[in-house]
Amino acid sequence: MQKITRRDLIKLGVASGVVLATGGIFKGNALAGSIKLAAGNKDFSPKTGVERKMIPSACWSCVTRDSMIGFVEDGRLVKLEGQLDSIRGLGKLCSKGAAGINQLYDPGRILYPMKRAGKRGEGKWKRISWDDALTELTGRLKKLRDEGHPEKFMFHYGRMKGSSSKIVKSAFLSTYGTKTIGNHTSICEVSKWTGQELTWGKHYDNWDFDNTKFVLNFGSGCLESHTNSIPLLQRLVAAMVERNVKCVTFDVRLSNTAARSTEWVPIRPGTDGAVALAMCKEIMDAGLYDKEFFKFIKATPNPNASTDEKVAALKKHLAPYTPEWAEKISNVPAAKIKSLALEFAKTKPACVINYRGTAAHYNGTENERVIQMLAAITGNIDNPGGRCRGVGAKWKYPKGPKKKPKGKKLKILDGFPGTVAYPTHHVSHQVLKMIKDGKAGRPEVYMWYCYTPVYANGDCQENIDIMKDESLIPYSVCVNAYYDESAALADMILPNPSYLEWWDWEDMVSPTQVPEYYIRQPFVKPLGESRDFKDVVCDLAERMGFPLGFKSAEEFVRMSCEKTPGVKEAGGFEYMKKQGVWHDPKAKPKYFEYKKEVKGEDLKKEGVIFDEATGVYWNSKKSKKPDAGYTKAKNAYKGYVGQKIGDKVYKGFKPDKVNKSGYFELYSELLKIKGKQPLPNFVPIPEHEKMGAGDLILTTYKVPVQIHSRSANCKWLTEMYHDNPAKINPKTAKGLGIKTGDKIKVKSKVREITTTAEVTEGIIPGIVAISHHLGHWEYGRYASGKKSPMATDNDSGLKEKWWKTYGVHPNWIIPNSPDPISGQNRYMDTVCKVTKA
Amino acid sequence: MGDKFSATRRQMLKGAGAAGLAAAASLVPAGHAAAKRGGRSKAKAPRWAMVFDLRRCVGCRACTVACKAEYDVPLGVWNTVVNEEMVGRYPDTKKPFLPIRCNHCEGNKEDMIPPCVKDCPEYPKERQKYITPDGKKIRYRDGATYKRPDGLILNINKYCTGCGKCIKACPYGARAFNKRIKSGKDSTKNGITKCTSCAHRIDKGVVPACVNICPGRARVFGDLNDPNSEVSKLAKEFNLVKERDKTTLLPGEDTVPMNFYIDPDNALKTKIATRKYTENESFSCKVS
Repeated sequence: MQKITRRDLIKLGVASGVVLATGGIFKGNALAGSIKLAAGNKDFSPKTGVERKMIPSACWSCVTRDSMIGFVEDGRLVKLEGQLDSIRGLGKLCSKGAAGINQLYDPGRILYPMKRAGKRGEGKWKRISWDDALTELTGRLKKLRDEGHPEKFMFHYGRMKGSSSKIVKSAFLSTYGTKTIGNHTSICEVSKWTGQELTWGKHYDNWDFDNTKFVLNFGSGCLESHTNSIPLLQRLVAAMVERNVKCVTFDVRLSNTAARSTEWVPIRPGTDGAVALAMCKEIMDAGLYDKEFFKFIKATPNPNASTDEKVAALKKHLAPYTPEWAEKISNVPAAKIKSLALEFAKTKPACVINYRGTAAHYNGTENERVIQMLAAITGNIDNPGGRCRGVGAKWKYPKGPKKKPKGKKLKILDGFPGTVAYPTHHVSHQVLKMIKDGKAGRPEVYMWYCYTPVYANGDCQENIDIMKDESLIPYSVCVNAYYDESAALADMILPNPSYLEWWDWEDMVSPTQVPEYYIRQPFVKPLGESRDFKDVVCDLAERMGFPLGFKSAEEFVRMSCEKTPGVKEAGGFEYMKKQGVWHDPKAKPKYFEYKKEVKGEDLKKEGVIFDEATGVYWNSKKSKKPDAGYTKAKNAYKGYVGQKIGDKVYKGFKPDKVNKSGYFELYSELLKIKGKQPLPNFVPIPEHEKMGAGDLILTTYKVPVQIHSRSANCKWLTEMYHDNPAKINPKTAKGLGIKTGDKIKVKSKVREITTTAEVTEGIIPGIVAISHHLGHWEYGRYASGKKSPMATDNDSGLKEKWWKTYGVHPNWIIPNSPDPISGQNRYMDTVCKVTKA
Repeated sequence: MGDKFSATRRQMLKGAGAAGLAAAASLVPAGHAAAKRGGRSKAKAPRWAMVFDLRRCVGCRACTVACKAEYDVPLGVWNTVVNEEMVGRYPDTKKPFLPIRCNHCEGNKEDMIPPCVKDCPEYPKERQKYITPDGKKIRYRDGATYKRPDGLILNINKYCTGCGKCIKACPYGARAFNKRIKSGKDSTKNGITKCTSCAHRIDKGVVPACVNICPGRARVFGDLNDPNSEVSKLAKEFNLVKERDKTTLLPGEDTVPMNFYIDPDNALKTKIATRKYTENESFSCKVS
């Protein structure tokens, strides 16, 4: 008999409520009474009272991929709710998730394969059959493959996770042979990931709000739009209200997160790292550092340095970074920095969090390293209540054909040579520029999936110009359910369904440090002739003569459920279809994994050698040139076994993507090799150093009711948010003679946009803030007022739509310009002039 | 107390009916109600109420969209919204969020009929029976707009003439014409949309859609007549009922709302909270 947890009790309460309500105890027209109402998992038609059919699935509005349930009435999906049984989402969903129905029934949906009929971008299309579409595509792809140039097929995705990624990338593309696979991480938060890969190894930080006692937030909007939104939002609110946990937010704007925080501390853009550095100095000088954790820290070149030596080295390094120094840079009062530093160090456990406010800058990677340092020196790493390495489900899955060719790739994924030190997740915003440049070759077929290169990257006009140019991109294929700005520039469109019509398994990080396994299943059959791209690649592979071993995404998910330990025993695919989620009820949350010792036998395995310079045990067979030593041997990190510290060997902080040691690296030999400062430091943003009188810094942000660039077609969302005036502080506006409602020009070195001003007290002076999401010029009538060429009029909302503004997109004036360490696009750095239009 | 608020025969005929009786209990501070009634086996309906815990509202608008989906509410109108207002001067700026929906008002002490019901020309209509959780019957009159014995203010479109008087009567802007439906009695006019507290869900034992989804758990729904309910506990802890002039919207209107606010940032003092809707105005949702 298992111990009954609080969560089980909640579930029991839910179940008993339902029994009471439906058990026939109360008769009559109203069954209501002083009974405990169930929290959810049931819904009824308000018109007929008939119970709606419930299907568990998973969201895909944002990368959170919250577990959810949907209700179907008369064959139509009518309602989406959170999944009560999910340990991540706890039955909650956000506005974007709930509005997913609008994605499914968008009257602008592309329902048939389309082929360009006029000039590229002219908007003339011809409907073709799937057979014609795939015959044409197979012809082109097979030819490239047969000629020995599979790399000339470039596949570029925006969102591909879980089973989607495994089917398309691991099975299909790797068997095909192209490694010219682009992603979108560098326009998101790659500086965070590279910063983490350089310090603690694998990327993604989970914030343990359930157990924390203090939250220090540098530029995360986690109460409104986060990569693990619903799981974390509710836990932070609960911590603040139920346990009086203090949350202090540094931000240039009074975001919803800042507004709901215990305290908002306004800060200049790109200076969070200076404040965090000064905090580190205060904490070290006050002796409030966690001596025990220092054992696992690397703070000097010497892997055998004592804690005292490391502490001394860090103190010496931090000496110039006084709170007074940071105040001059950030405008945050030195006294505030000091008091927050001490409070953070004395409150155990405490959690420092950060996101795009620190990440989307020239110094994004360094900011990440500084914040990692703040967490590390206070011992708030991988501990209950601290900043933890993310834990997600580990599915077993079919890998496709055993025999795979050695993949080839065009060197257009990582930015221009020498511009980015560690492009660990590629530099996608430079891809079009590199195609234009042509020195590293050009793809002959450019296909994109759940991605809008034109709109999501900076400098939209440059993107349009390149995408339109057939001499640069001879053939382009867009996989999309919607006619967006990029689809409009394709040669062929393959109609994908919405995520509410397809299969997946998912694995997003759990806020509880216990992995959750969950699936996405269709609520309805794909509309029109839309076909899940995952099914399409199975077909393409078959046509090209390398069948993947499964015929559809559904089969892949089924096979994965039958292979995956735990899920299999729980009942496999049938169980998952019925329940949607599974976690091991006996699993303990993963904390302090780094403290585990490596078994002696693992060190004696063939090929495992000890690297004196780093103290790392690693399997030298993983590298072709192991003699270069662990740090310099290519792919050595893949052979990492353990870190020797004193006379023991620990699992430590296992590397991923780069050859860091198993220490928590504050001192980075890898950065030193690239001519950067090895210890975390503050790097001023070059453009901000050279600002002239009247120059403002452009900052961008997200609101809680829109996804970055994929939700403006959702009528229920866009109804609430269809205009994004440029926000300016009254003091700054006065200097420019600008009032709310004035038409203004915002001009950067790239170009200028015309928008409307909103003078607000909720922003610091000296900047102008424009949200992402809006300013679409395609994407259908709700988003842009423009009907797409293949749209229907089959939606009641089209007659009811009342808004006539569509906002302005800031990316027109933001250059594609990488952070020199990670390649992060610098969405928050643009210097501009604002004038009355 | 019970006597003081008992509905007179005349009021019953006028329409407050048993709703008034049951409702009276909810004005008694939570926890006292049961004791005061002693052993009397008077039929007791729940008194549904909502507590908006503004410490927990992050302005995400999940509630707003969940409601849109639950009823397929047309564009341009809402049954529930969250509004926001920037207050104070930089850097001491605050941004309280204010969720609003129909207050499911008790109505004033004299007649216990909320203004929307009072102004409805098609109220009262048929006799109906409400079955309480312990199986007792409470009689009441329905209407185009009426109050059910559990306090819910509901519409029946078949009676509705589309006159719009209820929209004008509601100072909270909680009602609007639904352009997708014709009023039952006049096909040249539209019917009404408003929050029903998801009567169709709670009658079957499930919380309202907005409560179900709310990620911050800012919307707490339950029976104020049940001292053990979460709303009763919050009411007690924060004096929500006792100090209803400080915890409800537009107390000066004397509508006696049944939505209560836990309000750390003085959201109830903002313009969005103190605004009185007149004529045909309804609330709307704008995110800034």
